[in-house]
Amino acid sequence: MTPEQTDAQSKAPRQLDPTLTAVLAHRFEAIVREMTNTLFRTGRSSILNMARDFSCAIVTADDQLFAAAEGLQVHVLGAGLQTASMRELHPDMREGDAYLHNDPMLGNTHTADHTILVPVFFAGEHIFTATAKAHQADCGNSEPSTYMAYVADVYAEGGLIFPCVKVQQDNSDIEDIIRMCRRRIRVPEVWYGDYLAALGAARIGERRLGEVIARYGVETIRAFVAEWLDYSERCMEQAIRRLPAKRLHARSRHDPIPGLPGGVEVNVTIDVEPERGLVSFDLRENPDCIPFGLNVSEYCARGGCMIALLNCLEEDIPRNAGSFRRIEVLLREGSLAGGLVEPYSASVSTTNVLNRIINAAQSAFCQLGDGQGLAEGAGALGVGFSVFSGAYPDSGEPYVSSMVIGNNGGPASPHCDGWITYAMPDCPKTIYIDSVEMLERTYPLHFRSLRLLADSGGAGRLRGGPAGEVVYGPRSQEPLRVFYLADFAVNPPQGVRGGEPGAAAWASVIDLDGSERQVEPVGDSLLAPGQWIRGIEAGGGGYGDPLERDPQAVLRDVIERWVSARAAHDVYGVVLAEEGPDPGLTVDPQGTRERRETLSRERAARRDAADRTSR
Amino acid sequence: MSARITCDIGGTFTDVVVSDSSGGLTVAKALTQPSHLFGGLRAALERAAEQLREPLAALLGRTSLFIFSTTQATNAILEGTTARTAFLCTEGFPDILVRREGGSLRPYDYTRAFGEPYVPRRLTFEIPERVDADGNIVSALDEAGARARLSEARALRVQAVSVCLLWSTANPAHELALGELIERELPGVPYSLSHQINPIVREYRRASGTSIDASLKPLMQSHLPEIASGLQAEGFAGELLAASSAGGVVPMSELIERPLWSVRSGPSLAPVAARTVAAAETGSHRVDVIVCDTGGTSFDVSLVRDGDLVFTNETWLGEPFQGHITGLAAVDVRSIGAGGGSIAWVDPGGLLRVGPESAGADPGPACYGRGGTRPTVTDAALVLGYVDPERFLGGAMALDTPAAETALGELAGTLGVGLREVAHAVLSIANERMIAAIHELTVNEGVDPRDSTLVAGGGAAGLTILPIARELGCREVLIPRAAGVLSAFGGQHSDIVREVTAPHVTSSQAFDFPGVRETLDGLRARMLAFESELPAGLAGEAQRRYFVEARYAYQVWDLSIPLEGDGVEDEQALERLLERFHDAHERIFAVREPGQRIEMSQWKGRVVIATTTPPVAARRHAAPEARMPQRRTAYFPELGEVDIPVHLGSELAPGAGVEGPALVIEPETTIVVYPGWSAHVSALGNYRLELA
Repeated sequence: MTPEQTDAQSKAPRQLDPTLTAVLAHRFEAIVREMTNTLFRTGRSSILNMARDFSCAIVTADDQLFAAAEGLQVHVLGAGLQTASMRELHPDMREGDAYLHNDPMLGNTHTADHTILVPVFFAGEHIFTATAKAHQADCGNSEPSTYMAYVADVYAEGGLIFPCVKVQQDNSDIEDIIRMCRRRIRVPEVWYGDYLAALGAARIGERRLGEVIARYGVETIRAFVAEWLDYSERCMEQAIRRLPAKRLHARSRHDPIPGLPGGVEVNVTIDVEPERGLVSFDLRENPDCIPFGLNVSEYCARGGCMIALLNCLEEDIPRNAGSFRRIEVLLREGSLAGGLVEPYSASVSTTNVLNRIINAAQSAFCQLGDGQGLAEGAGALGVGFSVFSGAYPDSGEPYVSSMVIGNNGGPASPHCDGWITYAMPDCPKTIYIDSVEMLERTYPLHFRSLRLLADSGGAGRLRGGPAGEVVYGPRSQEPLRVFYLADFAVNPPQGVRGGEPGAAAWASVIDLDGSERQVEPVGDSLLAPGQWIRGIEAGGGGYGDPLERDPQAVLRDVIERWVSARAAHDVYGVVLAEEGPDPGLTVDPQGTRERRETLSRERAARRDAADRTSR
Repeated sequence: MSARITCDIGGTFTDVVVSDSSGGLTVAKALTQPSHLFGGLRAALERAAEQLREPLAALLGRTSLFIFSTTQATNAILEGTTARTAFLCTEGFPDILVRREGGSLRPYDYTRAFGEPYVPRRLTFEIPERVDADGNIVSALDEAGARARLSEARALRVQAVSVCLLWSTANPAHELALGELIERELPGVPYSLSHQINPIVREYRRASGTSIDASLKPLMQSHLPEIASGLQAEGFAGELLAASSAGGVVPMSELIERPLWSVRSGPSLAPVAARTVAAAETGSHRVDVIVCDTGGTSFDVSLVRDGDLVFTNETWLGEPFQGHITGLAAVDVRSIGAGGGSIAWVDPGGLLRVGPESAGADPGPACYGRGGTRPTVTDAALVLGYVDPERFLGGAMALDTPAAETALGELAGTLGVGLREVAHAVLSIANERMIAAIHELTVNEGVDPRDSTLVAGGGAAGLTILPIARELGCREVLIPRAAGVLSAFGGQHSDIVREVTAPHVTSSQAFDFPGVRETLDGLRARMLAFESELPAGLAGEAQRRYFVEARYAYQVWDLSIPLEGDGVEDEQALERLLERFHDAHERIFAVREPGQRIEMSQWKGRVVIATTTPPVAARRHAAPEARMPQRRTAYFPELGEVDIPVHLGSELAPGAGVEGPALVIEPETTIVVYPGWSAHVSALGNYRLELA
């Protein structure tokens, strides 16, 4: 326990009124939502003002994540790490300061996420820190991409790194820092606008926190903080106590890429200890850091384990340092899974290998029995999630931003089919999606199609979410450069407990003559006018045996074109009969029973044959 | 004496308010008849006529203006009973309505399935065509292909058609051509074209609003004429207007053409009512007012800022992200499900929670005695003595206090606190959700609740508004005498409002004075045309105001900035406009960027034609008999259980004062005057409550 905590508790009222606790908890979440709204409305790059690839949080003075509302999961669950470096590096910090922090070695996610930290003081004392972390359109990397896969180290990655530097004093910019960014970042006006948006969000948080402290008094607020964290811990403890005790192992393999023919396999061991009310994740049995940008920072690795556990618990548990006391994450220095060491790059830390860690962990919980865990969710940072760049045809000015238009299908759960606009495991469901018209208005792009694909969600008792296909190209005579990092093209998202995998990711370029060639899914393309790029994100894995899916659900899927009539027959064993004008189809119960028995027999025969061969 | 009648046809009740030209108000209610709306309306009108001691035909005969609002459209959408609608989209982009704009309120919840699209995929038809962002036709409309899609739609017996093509806002040619094809291929089937319904960029919002509009047309085209002809048959010969979500009224014929405007139109009249009352009570028109309309199942909050209604472009039907957005600029009314039926429970961490689960109306709270056993907010109010069990809903239903005590008693046992303490905690936590909703709305607009007047309406208005006000720091609360029928009362004071928009792109760096002049002239001409088409009985002085939607370079969300007068005449006027933008940006978002380019792309005109609204008159009041008030026991945490007086509102004359703690019973609501507060009846008959 830190000295501050002891102090707070000794001065606190005997026990906090439970009503006031609930009231203040709402109040803090409302502050984070207001910060979030500010950043969303004022951001300049599409990645912020359309996709909302940013997150706001409130952290206590002793570095405990306190409130994060609906922030992107990977962005917020480790927020306490960054304020710790602020306190350590700036013991003299004071009111009016703001800090810029994007250093993955000091607790940030990855270089492209600029985090603004504003320490909040009351009567001269540091009480909270308001944080706003935002993915930048550009961060000065050696190529116009905020995700650099093929870099040996941070020097090749090339982005400007700010190891928690002071960017405002007395509420005014420190111009030296601003000048550095304006010089090095490809779209300085956009960067500065996004910086102001993040700063505004943090300052709004500072203002509102000040009001709440003034209203209730600092001692009451301290007592509330302690109480709320304890309450959150109790919620988590109770939820874990209802799980069966078991040690779980799972692995998941990132696709091979040039230079890494075996891809990257990650291992997760999970100890579920209901009697102790504790879940521990062991990521130590993983390879050492690799000379690629795929290494995962500590912030992301810890967050990933928490995402997996929170996804698998049905209870709505507050996400803060209190509930996280019941989660242990074991990392090994030097490991690519959270043990980042110099000079390795974690440029792609928030997505690719991390998504494999999350998938392994959340699907491992299925080993606890039917009704537990989730299938693997699709996480292709493919053509529909690209970093794209070029020049405006009129002014010749450069543009660069990330799009969030693709569709990865969510994992099937024991309760429902996979979420459609899932995005990916590190930020499931939270990120928004771009508007085609707004992207076309803001940048010289033209989209040819954007659609969800039938039969792309992994079959199962519960079906995985669908994959999306997108085709786009330049709208002017200026070429378009596109960076994408589509994992899941070789190893698609797996189903669990008899569920099938989702559709694999894909990337290709369509030439002027209409011919199409597949391209390396983790790579980049320069598109000339008239060329198109076509990408498919992945489908989510299924949960449970497809032969156990409710035939009426299969019928609805066929009518709504999520599943083809052929797959209904071949995979789900559902026989449909034509009937009436609308919807025109019905389930043939007798035919379905027989078809499912046949499929079961065939499956058993195949298993026997396989057993005999292996003996 | 000429009368003005407003009605609000809700899901349960049809409210009617009649005003005469001296400002006298008559309020009546009847049950809504969903299959025969006019039936319920006539019943309410007959009750009003009875109170006025005249035949209905006489009342309608002297009615010059009838203003109609209904939640039928909203309810039909939420209940999925709208017409079977086809969605026509640009080939290649069929999943706009499925995906919406992403996002989720419950990102860690894997127990709920993704929401169904407004139009199912099997009724979605891709039309071969494409227009680009500059309005160029990239591929021409394939008429044969389009006809084939329409004949498929016909085979599926669609009852309405929604058309939203990419960039129809930049070039509507293909949508217009499709409209003609629909008339030929699906004669008599109503359709909506997105560039006409709501010409905004962002395909999901436009498509959603257009689909909602089309799906409501068959319903509204049968309901609204039924109301009109029903009224005429009963002797009405005046002007018939309908409420729109823009916080005003339009001729009923316009609403039949654009049913989207009727979505959530009823709630948008509540701030109109609140503004009228606050202005009359304070004598100032430039007021900041927070408006709370608390019904049995929902709590609506809206805002009047500096005398103006506050608008939003994000009205969702159902849950944000998973429901359906209207996409229309409409009065910002935030609705949270926080009714009296919200269930209180203790979670595994030991914290007391209220909602989101609700006992609804059936079985309802434990005290309804209809089989509900779980404690609700209404049970808590009853246990605290804040509700008179004999006079609930005007005495329509006797409440079972022991049942409420039993339900809350279990909760108290679990938490190890007393019955009254737990009941008080339940109300406080329920209040907090409302406080959060008010905070979000006010802070977003830069309004300080401490400088605002709180106006409360709705059946549950008086129950907890004072602790909410105290928490917000509001020192004054107004409960209008028409609190129980706030929206219908708002209709009495609403003007004809019509908005027109036009795109014109320019910026602070190279401001196009002549182009802007031309754009604004165009808006003015459209407003004049609208005015000239109004029936003679409605013609009045028109006030035209102009706005520009502006943003810093690279931003995509606009702020709406009013223009001075009717244009931007010169460099000085431009400078002042830019300064207002910087100020608004700083007020709402805490930062400004002097010198940054400001982009302007959308121009808006709003014409307001004042209808002859009734004066806000003094309450007519018979001299009350001096009578000792009844008394009952109530619990307040700072006093414990105390014996308090129960006043009947009908016996309180203007000028009368009531010191808390006390109850004031009005036919449609009960006001709990908390300790430390005092209430007095104003000259206009409204309740003004102040913290001592």
